[in-house]
Amino acid sequence: MYSKINKIFIVLSAMLLVTACSSMGVEPWERDVLAKAEMQLVTDPVEAGLDDHIYFSKEASSGGRGFGGGGCGCN
Amino acid sequence: MTDKQNNSIVMSLAAATCTLLGTAPAGPVNAQEDPGWNFNTSLLYYGESDGRVQDASLNLLARRSFADDKSLALTLAVDSLTGASANGATPMDVVQTFTSPSGNATYSTPAGEHPLDGTFLDTRVAISASWQQPLGRLYAVNAGLTASGEWDYTHLGGNIGLSRDFNKRNTTVSIGVAFARDNLDPEGGAPVRFAPMLDVGDLSNKMGSQDKDVVDLLLGVTQVVNRNMLVQFNYSYSDSSGYLNDPYKIISIVDPVTGDTVPRIPTPGVAGPSHEFRFESRPEDRAKHSFYGQGKYYWGGRVLDLSYRYMTDDWEIDSHTLDAKLRFPIGDSSYLEPRVRFYSQTEAEFYRASLNDGDPLPQYASSDYRLGNFDAITAGIKYGWKTGSDNDMSVRLEYYVQDGEVPAEQIIGNQSQRDLYPGLEAIIFNFSYGFGK
Repeated sequence: MYSKINKIFIVLSAMLLVTACSSMGVEPWERDVLAKAEMQLVTDPVEAGLDDHIYFSKEASSGGRGFGGGGCGCN
Repeated sequence: MTDKQNNSIVMSLAAATCTLLGTAPAGPVNAQEDPGWNFNTSLLYYGESDGRVQDASLNLLARRSFADDKSLALTLAVDSLTGASANGATPMDVVQTFTSPSGNATYSTPAGEHPLDGTFLDTRVAISASWQQPLGRLYAVNAGLTASGEWDYTHLGGNIGLSRDFNKRNTTVSIGVAFARDNLDPEGGAPVRFAPMLDVGDLSNKMGSQDKDVVDLLLGVTQVVNRNMLVQFNYSYSDSSGYLNDPYKIISIVDPVTGDTVPRIPTPGVAGPSHEFRFESRPEDRAKHSFYGQGKYYWGGRVLDLSYRYMTDDWEIDSHTLDAKLRFPIGDSSYLEPRVRFYSQTEAEFYRASLNDGDPLPQYASSDYRLGNFDAITAGIKYGWKTGSDNDMSVRLEYYVQDGEVPAEQIIGNQSQRDLYPGLEAIIFNFSYGFGK
């Protein structure tokens, strides 16, 4: 139980360290590539939702990218 | 339609479903867009081998964007499910007969095969609505409702989220929370935990409908690394409580020496199970922690999408998911995107291949292979193109295979000669069409 809390704390700290890297990034006029459709984090949202639903039904894990996204009698 | 306008359709849809999925989109997507409707329709076929589960699905997404970057997204999904599903009992060297979930009939499994319940026939309809808008210059808020219904299951949920940009919009921090109340009303009624499977017509082992509540919390950070690279880290916590059993899954009661399932004689004149089986029993709470990281990297027109998720919960299931996609442009208006996904999980603390006859019952036990120890691989390819009218079409074909094993210490006697873990092999086919103003 405590080792789990430790693991969670370490990962959350790592996430905060990433945000502390405020020297990373681009100027507003350097967003040409980032604005491309294929560079969005979820390029095809319907496909992502379908995949999430398949794997939620067939495996014991769910989410990560977002919420479970609606209930289902499958798991 | 110009390339810029077309980009905005896909990005609008991406933004829409980012809110549906509970994460706020990264900075670039907050750019102004023209008000109007965007649509995406998608057909999915999922089919397992050996007459097991098959799902045909139609999905519609409609998004209306308004002035001032406000938007409303509506989705409708209709699924038709058929085919058979492993019921959790172990294979035997003789024919096995089971009472169907309704309690009105029986079904049988040939000797040597994994018992499958073929009585599933279900249609599921799911709808959702979500709203997103900016709040001041650097904040955005989103809220949504979800609902779904199947023959034996209904769901109602709501979610709300907030995001804020930092560092010239290079960093976005998001927080979201979702609530759901689900109701199970299985054919024949929800089984009492560990109740024995009874003869046809005897429903004394079943209760009425049952509820399940789920609370989800999501914390996320999106960071632009450089002109060609973007990363995201999410932590999510999910708590489920209530009736968490799968109402259709059973466990075989076996002889502690031979490992053979104990035979049973039904009441004279009545059909019923040929062996001793009990319905499963899971805890009434489950707390899951997920850590998710994703990166997108662009070089020479190609895009690499790499993500990793680690999940751990208080059922002692740990899982790792690694997903990689590489998009190659072909000419100006089409692309090819191979994809590979690796998945691995360890079994739940209460996973049991079978229960020993005569031993006291444990507090919890389940033979559901989806709570077992297995690895899975998905491999596939997607081809996408712009149509004559500059809309987006794509087709995707993937192969999904699961292979697992029962922990060695749980295998008894004759079970060592049988294939105890059903595994899974499936084809996924998806056709998608996106269009708009």
